Amino acid sequence: MTSEEIIEKVKTDQGEGIASSEVNLGDSVLFVSKEAIHGVAEYLKNDPDLDFDYLSNITGADYLNEDREPRFEVVYELHSIEKNHSIRIRVGLDEEDPTIPTVSDLWKGAFYPERELFDMFGFNVEGHPNLSRLIMPEEWEGNPLRKDYPLTIEDVTFSHNREFKQDLVKSKPPTR
Amino acid sequence: MTVTEQGLLEREKDSMTLNMGPQHPSTHGVFRVVLEMDGELVDSAEPHIGFLHTGIEKTSEAKRYVHVIPMTDRLDYLSPPGNNLAFCLTVEKLLQTDVPERANYLRVIMCELARMASHLVWLATHALDIGAMTVFLYCWREREMILDLNEEISGVRMMTSYIRLGGVAQDSTPGWLQSVRKFVEYFPAKIDEYERLLTHNPIWLDRTQNVGVMSREEAINWSMSGPVLRASGVNWDLRKQRPYSGYENFEFEVPTEKNGDIYDRYLVRVAELRQSREIVKQALKKLPSGPYKVDDNKISLPNRKTLKSSMEALIHHFKLVSEGVSVPKGETYVPVEGPRGEVGFYIVSDGSNVPSRVKLRAPSFMAIPGMCKMMEGCFIADVVGIIGSIDIVMGEVDR
Amino acid sequence: MGLIDQAYDLVETEVNNVKENVKDVLDQADYDFSGAIYDSILTTKVGKVIGWAQKNALWPATFGLACCAIEMMAMANSRWDAARFGAEVFRASPRQADLMIVSGRVSQKMAPVLKTIFDQMPEPKWVISMGACASCGGIFNNYAIVQGVDRVVPVDVYVPGCPPGPEALLYGIIKLQEKIMHEAGTKQAAKRVA
Repeated sequence: MTSEEIIEKVKTDQGEGIASSEVNLGDSVLFVSKEAIHGVAEYLKNDPDLDFDYLSNITGADYLNEDREPRFEVVYELHSIEKNHSIRIRVGLDEEDPTIPTVSDLWKGAFYPERELFDMFGFNVEGHPNLSRLIMPEEWEGNPLRKDYPLTIEDVTFSHNREFKQDLVKSKPPTR
Repeated sequence: MTVTEQGLLEREKDSMTLNMGPQHPSTHGVFRVVLEMDGELVDSAEPHIGFLHTGIEKTSEAKRYVHVIPMTDRLDYLSPPGNNLAFCLTVEKLLQTDVPERANYLRVIMCELARMASHLVWLATHALDIGAMTVFLYCWREREMILDLNEEISGVRMMTSYIRLGGVAQDSTPGWLQSVRKFVEYFPAKIDEYERLLTHNPIWLDRTQNVGVMSREEAINWSMSGPVLRASGVNWDLRKQRPYSGYENFEFEVPTEKNGDIYDRYLVRVAELRQSREIVKQALKKLPSGPYKVDDNKISLPNRKTLKSSMEALIHHFKLVSEGVSVPKGETYVPVEGPRGEVGFYIVSDGSNVPSRVKLRAPSFMAIPGMCKMMEGCFIADVVGIIGSIDIVMGEVDR
Repeated sequence: MGLIDQAYDLVETEVNNVKENVKDVLDQADYDFSGAIYDSILTTKVGKVIGWAQKNALWPATFGLACCAIEMMAMANSRWDAARFGAEVFRASPRQADLMIVSGRVSQKMAPVLKTIFDQMPEPKWVISMGACASCGGIFNNYAIVQGVDRVVPVDVYVPGCPPGPEALLYGIIKLQEKIMHEAGTKQAAKRVA
């Protein structure tokens, strides 16, 4: 099924759960709210025409620099092995309450990406069996991939124009 | 542990905890597995990762697009051109440019050479772990030839950064093409040599058949990809299903097996060595002439000779080197077939010359929970075989 | 004026006193240790033999972390044979090794493990920091990478490169062998063995 057909079918079957949809550079993209994500995911997996049985990727993104609400986003990428089509689902999360229900009961491949979301972004994934730090050490504080987390902890040690660089480092915005 | 009435400590389970620590010759990098063992059988395996976390994703948010390319080399460090290609394809999709034909063919040649080099390292270390040390020495002999080819065309043995936005870094020379041709002629006899040593070897069969079995449904549900998925019977190869970079012009087979044990993964990867060689042979024969990078001077550097005569070329060169490519606002994901499976970059751009979010979809990262599920119920000696057969690279797991 | 002159004279006499005393002490020490010349020749010669034995049989501990580990494996293989320099057996257990080649980037989570492995190696031990990431943090100047492994363990030889070719690592091992021979029989070699 082409991207337009997928979007049409999903909109007709799951109209109320889906905030909006688009075809972006040839890929079908759904915008879903976090309350509806589990229902939509279950429908996408079990529907015989869509048959999205392969979870490719779960990502998080922080849009602090673009100053938009909601600040965070969780992006799911699904493939279908038999039908050979894909879909991307984007779920917006607020800054005060970044929680999202887990999809690991549908695809077991979601265990690690959701744990990484908790570790690097601080999203609380409800229903995950083992939500703990995955990549950073256990006693690490902070969520490194957020935009307000600094990139370097210390200044460049050796530099020919050290005084100039000191001012530059101080006046730079946090991650750039 | 509980305390009985007499004040004695008592364990619920009579199991032994064994730590296969981050420093271990067989864990293929810094990977820690805590095994709960019942005698010699493994009850459960709990993986700990993060010992090689480099913060590449966050560092990419502070670097221009062309500076991210050498960092992508160091992710899956056994096949650097594969990562380069995934990143460049994603950014080119956002830029909505096309890449000239010759650049596509050169990219395919580099990626397939890298696939062969990566599979050679896999075979060498996997066989070494199980005990066949001769294969280790033999495989590295051929890998050195591939690294010599890398060095001839890009100057670096491993981290080539040869695939750039809009094409490739430099054109290939007739001498290099001749060297690749010679290697392609020489290689099949060597693959036969490795197969003579292992494929019908009773010790190899004993240690690898019916070990670490993963069925077809489990492999799909646990998000395995690449040779592991194909060894479980799923015919899913992104070079055939989602052709990119001109792969639809080549004729090659996708090897699959049925059982999903270690031996099948070995057979799939050795067959892939032969198919990669086929692809390189066809690419050499059909290599078109033409430009090796896109003509748009906002994306790729202008020809050095024009810098002396054209003012525009000079300005474009200055802009590209100092400021970099400005990518339109958007987000996209392009999956590519790497030696370990589906490699993809999810890139969010906010319209400037610095990416806003770069996320690598690493096949080894997604394979680790499934791998630890495979370890349950097998002997401690099989754990080493299973880790080797999934072929994890910690650089892309921890990023 | 008179007071300043007096102070100046006092300081001069004190300094001359100290100089005289030092000369006496040095003469005494010369006399005391003159017989020790024979001892020191013997220890130096034996030390040189021990140093020669140590440098020709450096056993590396497998500490391959990242990309540099692949080049270290290439060095151990048939093209750049490290066996001809004595570094053939890569011991998995640090208790049986005397050289640790830190090959690859050391992350914050791995640094305590690195220190533990280094502590488990018996003396005398040497460390080669292979690659840019181990020497200075490399291209990763961020929160996750220790900026140079010499913040955790003492390093003897730094091998630059990203990754350094096997020939560069082999040159590093040769330099380490020269360092061992240079230090052999002297107090610095004795300091390595606690």
